[in-house]
Amino acid sequence: MAYYPEPVARLIDALQRLPGIGPKTAQRLTFFLLKRPFDEVRELSEALVAVKERIVQCRTCFNVTDEDPCRICADPVRDTGLLCIVEEPNDMLAMERTGEFRGRYHVLGGALSPLDGIGPDDLKVRELLARLDAGRTREVILATNPNVEGEATALYLAKLLRPLGVRITRIARGLPVGGDLEYADQVTLSKALEGRREIG
Amino acid sequence: MHIGSIQLIEFRNYRTLSYTPSPRLNLLTGPNAQGKTNLLEALAFLLVGRSFRTSRLGDLARWGESSAAVSGELRRQDTSRTIRRTVRMLEDSRWQAAGESCPWARVIVFGWQDLSILTGMPAARRAFIDGVAGRIYPSHLPALGRYRQVLARRNLLLRTRPGEAALAPWDEQLAAVGTELIDRRRRATAMLQTELARIYPAVSGERHKTEIRYRTELGEATEPAALLAAIARVRRDEIRRGQSLVGPHRDDLVLELDGIDARVFGSRGQQRLLALSLRLAEVLPVREAAGTTPVLLLDDALSELDGTVRGHVLREIQTAEQVFLTAPEPLRVEGAARWDLRAGGLCAA
Repeated sequence: MAYYPEPVARLIDALQRLPGIGPKTAQRLTFFLLKRPFDEVRELSEALVAVKERIVQCRTCFNVTDEDPCRICADPVRDTGLLCIVEEPNDMLAMERTGEFRGRYHVLGGALSPLDGIGPDDLKVRELLARLDAGRTREVILATNPNVEGEATALYLAKLLRPLGVRITRIARGLPVGGDLEYADQVTLSKALEGRREIG
Repeated sequence: MHIGSIQLIEFRNYRTLSYTPSPRLNLLTGPNAQGKTNLLEALAFLLVGRSFRTSRLGDLARWGESSAAVSGELRRQDTSRTIRRTVRMLEDSRWQAAGESCPWARVIVFGWQDLSILTGMPAARRAFIDGVAGRIYPSHLPALGRYRQVLARRNLLLRTRPGEAALAPWDEQLAAVGTELIDRRRRATAMLQTELARIYPAVSGERHKTEIRYRTELGEATEPAALLAAIARVRRDEIRRGQSLVGPHRDDLVLELDGIDARVFGSRGQQRLLALSLRLAEVLPVREAAGTTPVLLLDDALSELDGTVRGHVLREIQTAEQVFLTAPEPLRVEGAARWDLRAGGLCAA
């Protein structure tokens, strides 16, 4: 193990805990930061602290926000009858980038995962039921990931929500736009075939 | 399809080797431990990027080397495709494979380990039928991967003594993917049955009735609902044992020779011949599904067989397209290309 002055070792150690960053990248980032002007590094450290100090969870949809309720929940133009269920705030941002969806969201904070010991009580499911109880929702769109955990979560919620009498839909699985059939993997292609629609 | 040429670099016992095989039958002979099986392994690795002997990529590189490469030309009717595959050791001493793949490349391998299809545990027969189904239906192996993911999670969940509502989404997925797997395994088994009924009598030179059946808890049912119902029946046992007790991971193949379980029937020679016939029975179904005849890699397929039977086997394998057959002693077969392997080198014999 090479010798580093204590503050350097401390920063390398802290950076290493970030996802996708190993010892070498942590070391590279540390020496990069050492060479930057003082103001720039202070800006970064302040940004890090601010994100923890000022960001909260929206108490309605559990999205991350700097004001509660968040901008989407507070937006009077958005359709309150349409509720899109996602696993993480990232997924919500991805949906927002489409600019197509004008309803509201509910962020579960994960998916059912026996491997990580995550059950329904660890997700914002009770909060979802309370929201639906208020009675303005016409349709719930289950937009959890298409992996086995996301699928289990969607199946679980579908069964749970069925008695409430709202329309429940699951986002489609299929081919990427601009893709080439020849290069699509078999599973995606067969799911796309299953989900085919009438045209014309 | 056939392999037009292959080049090996630091692969197993080969420093470098360049080989232009015949598009028909190739006889690879030479004493033990000269690299016959290693060459078959390289041919399989070129075709499908996987070894039939090991899942440890590092085993493929020459001892002490940190990388290996196999490249070559694959031909089908009037198309040809050049492929290069490599394995190399990363900084953290894990091994990584890289290289393009060829969607129409198919290979069928026979080796001594195939005796376990008859004599081994049910897992060996499930692996066999999944291999066959995977070569016929390209979506079979991805579905199997998904099934294993669902199964692992469901088993963990069962150990927490879950309620009905918590199990339901996993039951449903297990039943949906499980039924898909069972359906393809059944269809693959039926295709094998048709071919085996022709091939085994032809190679043994005797009139034997062979039968291969897929055995599952579900009986004849084909709907996910049947698997769901079967799961519901064993619910209490599953929770007690913390294990999923029904589904394709518990199924088996039944193999019979003249109405008797082939595991206990016959000599070792007969069992080897039956195992070989099972591999050969795959050629036609794969050809029909993939639109091209698979390359056959037969490792020491003639040992323990008598002269007459050897003649029958040689005639049968020549109905395929490109075949590589290894043997410890020289063989004479009309129209076959003969190659002599010695200490990591190869020459026309």
